[in-house]
Amino acid sequence: MNTIHRILSIVSLVLAWLILSFVFSPTIVPGPFAVLQAMWENVRSGQAFYHLYKTLFRVGFGLVLTMALGIAFGTAMGLSRRAEVFLESWVMVGLTLPAIVYSIICLLWFGLNDFAAIVAIGASAFPAVGISIWQGIKGMDTQLVSMGNAFKLSKGAIIRKIIFPQLLPHILAAMRYALGICWKICTTVELIGMSSGVGFMLNYWFGLFSMSQVFAWTLLFLLVMFAIEYLLFKPVEKRLTKWRNDVPIPLSA
Amino acid sequence: MIALKEVRKEYLQPNGERLRVLENITFEIAEGMFSSLLGPSGCGKSTILNLIAKLDRHTSGDILVNGNKIGFVFQQPRLLNWRTVTDNVALPLERDNSDKRGRRELAVKYLDLVGLSGFENYYPLQLSGGMQQRVAIARALVIDPDILLMDEPFSGLDEFTARKLRQELIRIWRETGKTIVFVTHSISEAVFLSEQILIVSQKPATIFKRVTVDVPYPREYGDLRLFEIETSLTRDFLEMNSER
Ligand SMILES: Nc1ncnc2c1ncn2[C@@H]1O[C@H](COP(=O)(O)OP(=O)(O)O)[C@@H](O)[C@H]1O
Ligand SMILES: [Mg+2]
Repeated sequence: MNTIHRILSIVSLVLAWLILSFVFSPTIVPGPFAVLQAMWENVRSGQAFYHLYKTLFRVGFGLVLTMALGIAFGTAMGLSRRAEVFLESWVMVGLTLPAIVYSIICLLWFGLNDFAAIVAIGASAFPAVGISIWQGIKGMDTQLVSMGNAFKLSKGAIIRKIIFPQLLPHILAAMRYALGICWKICTTVELIGMSSGVGFMLNYWFGLFSMSQVFAWTLLFLLVMFAIEYLLFKPVEKRLTKWRNDVPIPLSA
Repeated sequence: MIALKEVRKEYLQPNGERLRVLENITFEIAEGMFSSLLGPSGCGKSTILNLIAKLDRHTSGDILVNGNKIGFVFQQPRLLNWRTVTDNVALPLERDNSDKRGRRELAVKYLDLVGLSGFENYYPLQLSGGMQQRVAIARALVIDPDILLMDEPFSGLDEFTARKLRQELIRIWRETGKTIVFVTHSISEAVFLSEQILIVSQKPATIFKRVTVDVPYPREYGDLRLFEIETSLTRDFLEMNSER
């Protein structure tokens, strides 16, 4: 049932693409076959792996930095009223500035290297994570904490056994969202200041007006994202939330 | 034994004023006794229970609690939804250095006592409200407490389920001989369950009256003696409200 829907959804996307490629000329919307051929070339020459590896490396460490900063800020703001007041303006500024600003500043400060890319990613993406964790703590069931106190659990036990499990879904959702942001920022940084990575290759083929190559790299990017979603996030989420009653919201027909 | 002497409790309100919730609470509860604190909503019953459990500090007066282990049952089950029923019941045991197997065995034993055998591996959200409240009772009992504090544990349940759980509670109490302090705003519930009822008056709270219910257990719903006590308690309530 679910599988059929999933396949239908992907088939419909490919079909839409196919139709568009017939309507427009190949220099505007290249067809799936031309794109797959370009992708195959990139895989054979090893280009695909090299640049994908570079991008994944930056996104990976950028995500780690994002989550670390986001959880630190979010936890502080959720637990302490003073931290909340103090850090709110930081987060608001962080959230308002466009990612390109961080990218340019980091590239100028640290040079055209991976470190600059990682810092730019972390700086742009962490406010969203921080806000999500902050809201998660605010919405937490404090009655459960007082239950822990009534049963004389230690402070550490309350944090580990009552607070953290309630935050976990928020952390997971934030991480998923953050991964998307990190990818986008990473390609931007690679586009303006790197000589490797998927973003760099997109820019390179843009310069040569090769639409099929632009599509090929975009598709590669998408495939990797899908793989991470279905091989990593979905199974982990399913494991962590198996206690939930898995029934849809019963809106009557 | 639990003894409160001239206990006063004030809360500091957000506007800086002090709200006196408990005025002069004095009562004694003997070991093994089933007592109820009966009073209207918002009069300070939960506050008294929290003070006995040392979850909160009183402003003045003396509180003496004999018995070092206290089991608490709240109005809502307050279960950890991500843990199985057994792991929920075992939660208060985890602070000891006992082994996991032993904890599980004990939890399963108490689940059986509250009539939940067969549901050990269920998650709370897969159970009805009444069953969840039984899990909460098992969790309070599993530490083998000397004192069991219950804060309106059945008020969120339908009357049929509540009746059944009351009868089971009496059975468990008679089997284990624990001291139980039961908070309720229902006169009939207090009369059905308790040996002694402490009527708590409205703001700031004092103990308006102490009533003993001299009817042997097991009691039956519809017992005329219980009904008479209920009627006289209702009169007390009307009198208490007209005094204010
Ligand atoms: N933490 C608190 N801060 C301020 N006021 C409180 C607090 N807890 C309870 N109160 C007040 O104390 C009174 C008694 O509350 P409570 O003991 O919960 O009543 P009951 O359990 O009898 O319904 C209420 O008026 C309530 O508003
Ligand atoms: Mg209450």
